[in-house]
Amino acid sequence: MSTINVLGLVLLILMVLVGGKAGLQSFLALLLNFGLLFLAIVLVAFHFPPLPVTLVVGLLVLALTIFMSSGDDLSSTVAFLASAAVLVILVLLIVPVEHWALVQGFGPEDSEDLEGLSVLIGINFVQVTTATAILSTLGAIAEAAMAIAAGLSEILEQHPQVTTKALLGDGITVGKQIIGTTFNTLFFGFFGGFLALFIWFTGVHYSFGEILNDKIFVSEILMILFAMVSVILTVPITAWVMTRAVAGQRRRAAKRSGDEK
Amino acid sequence: MQGLLKNRRVTLGLWLLVLVIGGLLVWGTAHNAGLYRDPIMQVTHVQTGTATKEEDDFHNVDRQTKQVLRGHILNGKYRGQKLTVTNTYSLSGAMDQHYHKGSQLFVVIHQHRASQLTATAKDAKRDTPLVFMLWLVVGLLLLIMQFSGFMAFLSVALNGVLFLIAIILNGSTQGARVLWIFGSLAVVFATLTLWLVIGANRQMLITLVTTLGGTALSLIVALLVFHFTHEKGMYYESMQYVTQLPRPLFLAETLLGSLGAVMDESTDIISSLFALKRERPELSARQVFKSGRQIGSTIMGPLINVLFFIFVADTFPMAMLYLKNGNSWGYTFSMNMSMGVVQSLISGIGIVLAVPLASYLASRFMVKKVRA
Repeated sequence: MSTINVLGLVLLILMVLVGGKAGLQSFLALLLNFGLLFLAIVLVAFHFPPLPVTLVVGLLVLALTIFMSSGDDLSSTVAFLASAAVLVILVLLIVPVEHWALVQGFGPEDSEDLEGLSVLIGINFVQVTTATAILSTLGAIAEAAMAIAAGLSEILEQHPQVTTKALLGDGITVGKQIIGTTFNTLFFGFFGGFLALFIWFTGVHYSFGEILNDKIFVSEILMILFAMVSVILTVPITAWVMTRAVAGQRRRAAKRSGDEK
Repeated sequence: MQGLLKNRRVTLGLWLLVLVIGGLLVWGTAHNAGLYRDPIMQVTHVQTGTATKEEDDFHNVDRQTKQVLRGHILNGKYRGQKLTVTNTYSLSGAMDQHYHKGSQLFVVIHQHRASQLTATAKDAKRDTPLVFMLWLVVGLLLLIMQFSGFMAFLSVALNGVLFLIAIILNGSTQGARVLWIFGSLAVVFATLTLWLVIGANRQMLITLVTTLGGTALSLIVALLVFHFTHEKGMYYESMQYVTQLPRPLFLAETLLGSLGAVMDESTDIISSLFALKRERPELSARQVFKSGRQIGSTIMGPLINVLFFIFVADTFPMAMLYLKNGNSWGYTFSMNMSMGVVQSLISGIGIVLAVPLASYLASRFMVKKVRA
């Protein structure tokens, strides 16, 4: 058996042992997410337009990740709507910045890997790189939205009469607690992935100015910054969606009790 | 109330200050050519030629267009001199750039006759968008999170500096001790970050032990699996930008990648358990352990997802290029995505193992503090 299969099996067993049914569901969600990501790549390679493909795949990934983990109905729905809104805002930000920064495709550092490959493939790499940046933030958006929604739904459970205005403030408070650790997840996640590149820069003695304008470096740092923007935006948006959902619920409840009288 | 209002005004004032300074910095990077040694050209006029159709061996059709860029040099000894540069760009643009009027780009100057410079385009100038995005992140962070946002940013900035020192250290030892350097760095990273986020107390200590324990366990499990499967299907040669022995580098990358997520998770679980114990001190260690497992199993899935998308989405452009060059799905996966998937799996194992570890340590060692 290959290493990758054994590692996957170990992860599956551990997730079931620790999380039971929820663990199994999370593992399935992970597998399906991988399938969706691969599907996106294949579809773009078949000349489907990259941005619409990314948006559809992105929404599916968010739905899968959020609804397949064990949360209550209210917080899952709120988390999904909020993360979908963040995804749309993020697309509106990433598209112009990627056009401006000219970081599409590959850099001179990639030339060894590109040996023997034709790069003139007729697919716009600005759009491909935009798609990559959007996809790489999906996990972070889903995680942050779920954490805030779960925190708020717990507050609602303990204080069912909390005003919507106070709830909005509570959302920011919950957000403050998670933002520090979430930033670290992003920082280490991305920097772990780029370790080799940074070692390359110091090994080949790039100057500070060269690094700051290097295609690959700028493209990677932009990805971290996009992810950070999306996590920051997720906090107030999730809190706001939660207040709308609660206000709607209360209106319906008030109407129903009014009808009964 | 007045104090609160005043406080608000101070925060708002600070925020505006950051906004203005950031804006000036962004504007500055658009006019900082003087700081660079390499000559920078400002494009003032673009003349576009006709497009030619290209087809490669795999029937990929692309269009290449020649453009003539006219402009002047912004810095150095050729400052102010006019020049003309020809540039070719393609529809796909994977390795070339399409410049527009107003673009700034680095050029290489070959020779200069009396009035005319000869030069070739090297690469675009990209510091302005970079600083703009940094400004946006800091501005949003301070606007929405205020002081906590500042702390979050501080801890990321400090970790960035430490990271840089470690990389320089690694370079000075020719990468021979990469795992040791980044292993010890992980300990320093975790201690510093948790100290900033939680403060120096028992809760921080338990979180730290869980973080380091979870990360170390995941690497041990990975090495055991590597040993028993003889690393079958591990394509170290497919790793990008490798300039030193790939295997320790891969392990160091994985170690750093999972550290942040494991730290995130243990902080969440342990702080919830401490809050729970404060509210209901009568809970037994067994019940605390159970709630810890409950909390952990809801957050572990999304966290593994975060790392999965960071590690694997990055391979999108290269994987697509492989597919368009007539490679099979399996080969494309092995050569581009398999190492990222292995990294996500190892990190995932660490994230899952941290759940019982955090619950156990919290249930076992938190009691004394509450009693005292």
